[in-house]
Amino acid sequence: MADQDTQDSRLGFAVGENHISFEVDETVYPLEAVYGASYLFLEKCFVYLSRPRAAAVDVRLTAREAATPADLDALAGEFANELLSQATRLRLSQASARIREYYTAAALRAAAAAPSVDELLAELEAEELLEDPLEIMVPWEEKHGAQQNESDPKKDPE
Amino acid sequence: MAEQVTFDRSLYLPEAVDAAAAAYAEHAKIEVTPAGDSVVVALSVIGEHDPQTVTNAFCNHVLYETIARMRQAAE
Repeated sequence: MADQDTQDSRLGFAVGENHISFEVDETVYPLEAVYGASYLFLEKCFVYLSRPRAAAVDVRLTAREAATPADLDALAGEFANELLSQATRLRLSQASARIREYYTAAALRAAAAAPSVDELLAELEAEELLEDPLEIMVPWEEKHGAQQNESDPKKDPE
Repeated sequence: MAEQVTFDRSLYLPEAVDAAAAAYAEHAKIEVTPAGDSVVVALSVIGEHDPQTVTNAFCNHVLYETIARMRQAAE
């Protein structure tokens, strides 16, 4: 898929018929960032990557419909922006990896130190919450039945 | 006439090329040839589809398969 009849675009990309290509320096933009940006553009256009030399990736974007050089220029510009965004996100992710590991470890330690259900039940029993000083758990009949029978002789005349 | 595309092994996974070739078997006669640091694919489009469009779509599929497999491996 060699470029034929290309010319430089406004932003310095090589424009051909319905396609535009440009070189990405892998020392500036890691391959993961190129993949990330390419993945997002797969629905928008056709993406083809090639390796012109070591540590360089040639990105070729082909429009799905007929496109003017200005359209292609805009497409490549969008891709370059996305590439920068992906590279920045990747660098931030790498830079904060230690902090994320620390927080994950702290959360796991806290989870391990948390009491189990059995421990919580044992704690409840120890607090003697099952004691019933107000006799809430005593059935009504048991508590008042005898008194009512004594004070209401009509119900049981015998 | 067959369209020829070269996929560099440092950018595309050979198994992704094979997967895309299997997916496009209905649309084109595809010949995959390993060649050193790359994999060369020759596509002869079946039917009345535009050969350039099928080739471009095939390239997209290979890239998609490569990225998906790499992300899966990284998890």
